[in-house]
Amino acid sequence: MYDLAKKKAAHLLKKRGSLSSLSSHEVKAKETFAKTKDSISTVSYMEEPGHHDDIPRPAVQMENTCQLSPTRRFPVLTVTSYLQEEKYEPELCRQMTKTISEVVKARVKDLMIPRYKIIVIISIGQIRDQNMRMGSRCLWDETCDNFSSHTFKNSSLFSTATVYGVYFE
Amino acid sequence: MEEFHSGDEVSFSPDEASNVVKECIEGIIGGVDYSQNKVNQWTASIVEHTLTQLVKQGKPFKYIVNCAVMQKSGAGLHTANSCYWDTTTDGSCTVRWENRTMYCVVSVFAVAIAL
Repeated sequence: MYDLAKKKAAHLLKKRGSLSSLSSHEVKAKETFAKTKDSISTVSYMEEPGHHDDIPRPAVQMENTCQLSPTRRFPVLTVTSYLQEEKYEPELCRQMTKTISEVVKARVKDLMIPRYKIIVIISIGQIRDQNMRMGSRCLWDETCDNFSSHTFKNSSLFSTATVYGVYFE
Repeated sequence: MEEFHSGDEVSFSPDEASNVVKECIEGIIGGVDYSQNKVNQWTASIVEHTLTQLVKQGKPFKYIVNCAVMQKSGAGLHTANSCYWDTTTDGSCTVRWENRTMYCVVSVFAVAIAL
């Protein structure tokens, strides 16, 4: 089944001209029993605790050019198109997380203005009788750096995807 | 050319960061069972403390700290990340922690600041 994931990845990445290596692992499949829906909260937020501008910087000419609307339009379609039909399966989702993160990174690279470093975090989990909370904090320059995230849920799995963009002078 | 850190260049040290993270997690949810009322507080504390400790190291990095706390119920969870950055100076580390009733996964990403 994860051949399908590999094919999708290879196809999408070929278009972008980048390479991704997906390693395969031996995994014992987990049994999935009653798929009850319950509350799964995924929160991703950022806060800046304070500046630590001790290091005197020389006047930066480029300072005003950094601007980032929340990581442009988040590649929502990528996530939903990959996961719409899928049922949670350990092997498949293992590959899926890696694949989606590579693909989202490639797409964001295409959209983005230069001088930005990109971090993409993808989580895929099974829906069972559990609760989950995700949080994040960032120490960065609020005027230049930003993030964007998206969550997706179907009857057997949920997925969160977050993209952070960090300006580099 | 030697592959040492020169006086000016610093690259991220995943080992140091993971020690910081482990201590923070232990301090906050060390001996406790999962509680839905408190999990919000926990994630916020873990992330904040980790960030504060990292900043204390005084290195020229921007940080992103991500934390996920999940109740143990037999469900599976997969996480992956993909980063576009300068591999000589930037880095990340992920710490997985668990106790009897919950899992905690904390990821730290450090992006170098140009000085």
